[in-house]
Amino acid sequence: MSAAAPGIGSADGRVPAGEPQTLAAPAGLISDVVAITGRAIRGILREPELFIFALIIPVFFFVVQIGALGKVAEQQLGISDYAAFQLPISILFAAASTSGGNALVLDIAGGYWDKLSLTPAHRSSLVVGNLFGEMFAVLGYSLVLLVFGFLIGVRFDSNPVIGSLGLLALTLLFGIGFASVSIAVALATGSVRATQSTFIIFFPLLFLTPSALPRQLMTGWFEKAVSLNPMTYVVEAARSFLFGINGTVIAKGFLAAALFSCLTFALTALAFRRRVRMG
Amino acid sequence: MSAIQAADLVRRFGEVEAVRGVSLEVAEGEIYGFLGPNGAGKSTIVRILTTLLQPTSGSGHVLGHDVTREPTTVRRLIGVALQEAGLDPKQTGRELLTLQGKLYGLKGKVLGDQVVEVTELVGLTDAIDRRIQTFSGGMKRRLDLASALLHRPRVLFLDEPTTGLDPLSRALIWDRIRELRERFGATIFLTTQYLEEADELADRVAIIDHGRIVRQGTPAALKAEIGADVIDLAVEERETGAAREAITELQASGELPQGELRGTRDGYTLFVPDGPQNIAVLIRGLDRAGVRFGAVSVSRPTLDDVFLAATGGRMAAAHEDGQDGDGQREPEPAGSGRRAS
Repeated sequence: MSAAAPGIGSADGRVPAGEPQTLAAPAGLISDVVAITGRAIRGILREPELFIFALIIPVFFFVVQIGALGKVAEQQLGISDYAAFQLPISILFAAASTSGGNALVLDIAGGYWDKLSLTPAHRSSLVVGNLFGEMFAVLGYSLVLLVFGFLIGVRFDSNPVIGSLGLLALTLLFGIGFASVSIAVALATGSVRATQSTFIIFFPLLFLTPSALPRQLMTGWFEKAVSLNPMTYVVEAARSFLFGINGTVIAKGFLAAALFSCLTFALTALAFRRRVRMG
Repeated sequence: MSAIQAADLVRRFGEVEAVRGVSLEVAEGEIYGFLGPNGAGKSTIVRILTTLLQPTSGSGHVLGHDVTREPTTVRRLIGVALQEAGLDPKQTGRELLTLQGKLYGLKGKVLGDQVVEVTELVGLTDAIDRRIQTFSGGMKRRLDLASALLHRPRVLFLDEPTTGLDPLSRALIWDRIRELRERFGATIFLTTQYLEEADELADRVAIIDHGRIVRQGTPAALKAEIGADVIDLAVEERETGAAREAITELQASGELPQGELRGTRDGYTLFVPDGPQNIAVLIRGLDRAGVRFGAVSVSRPTLDDVFLAATGGRMAAAHEDGQDGDGQREPEPAGSGRRAS
């Protein structure tokens, strides 16, 4: 290693003039986020088995629901294509079961979080980069399930390109919300077990929705609970992309997903501030 | 300007006061050894000075920059290898170094050259494209050291860099630390549990115990503070009472000068001036009293002795737990581990 040449180093002028400088220089938030996202995606690609396991349950539910209720739904309930009716549920299910906090909590427990925190990178990039990495996984799950649906005969009533892109966009927005919950728990607790348990919240949130039947066929307390659950509107918007685009339904879905994601991202921001203060 | 300065640092964790008013100053280009047993507060002070932890009170500066008010500037100036080498096992060594470099704002050819350079420096060229999960503990430490050097920091914090390493890996890390100072004039803040390591590497040493610095100075000056030679005496357990009585009598009669007598695992250690002269007096006196004894040796004091005097022997207890290094004494009778009395 040769000694740093004069003039090499921080170009932002923050290092006082006349001092020998290091090679470190501000990289910028975008560069930091790109670097951390790249590392998160590399980690996902290095463990394809986790990717496959995450798809097993959504595919299982998808197939079982179609097998159990498909004929009844189509003949008795007037649902023209029950596979298409269930496909968005499987995609949202896969997006909700991703755990963006898992990689982060392993970094915290293993000391790599500290290593990254010792760099001059924007600390928020450590969280946002992980979140973007997780969205890469959500995109992967969604594409696999869309192709699977296509292979078993699901077709879009609307333009398939617009329908697919809309569904993917909604799923990503919804996925940010769920990944943020997991990341917030990881940052707040630093506990691997607690972070892995966050998937439990998606049971009430996703099953108290018109996941199996249209809302108009529901009655009593269940119908009330479903109507109060913001995820209901996400599910209905996701279906709308397959069964003919309805602007109002889709707008409500995006609004619900955005509100959910804003709320959970705010929790993540609070947990992040606490983690940074704690050291 | 000092490379590192701490003024009255205090850090509490709830009821526990881990750091209790630590002040220190490290000159540029100095290797500063920070010595203490587990739980003494070493790592907490490193975390404060490296911006990972805020002090409850007091201040810390690196090259004149406040560690709490200007953390980003401080992070650009320092390199840190923490006690637990936190590395992402799924990445290769090269990927980890490249990511680290990007976060320090390095790019293009400079980044590529630095990765090659630090990899060569720590002797990991052949393994750098392997996943880190396949690295041994020593290799991980060296990779961690390489990542701390990527941006040519002016101040390097090494938190117990050799704890748990085999002698070969430890020697390699020591060589690299010396090289860093000699070639680049880097300031190095080195925490260690190993007295031998501090003695070998540090220009100055601070001994920390229960969150306070209890001694500070060059290793030679600290040893000189003891002001005596060290006589180690091995006696069988049933003879320890008789041996103590005989030595006390020799001191009372003035045949042996007054000096501290400390129990050890194998017998006693006696601190007296003019050791070579007085070892003969001791042997004759023990013979006369009919005390059966084993090996007897005289040596100059080591940092181990300084440490024992300063802390009341907590490090010695750690030695016996196998958590710690070894105070060096030449010659040393076999199995003469010290025990605080």
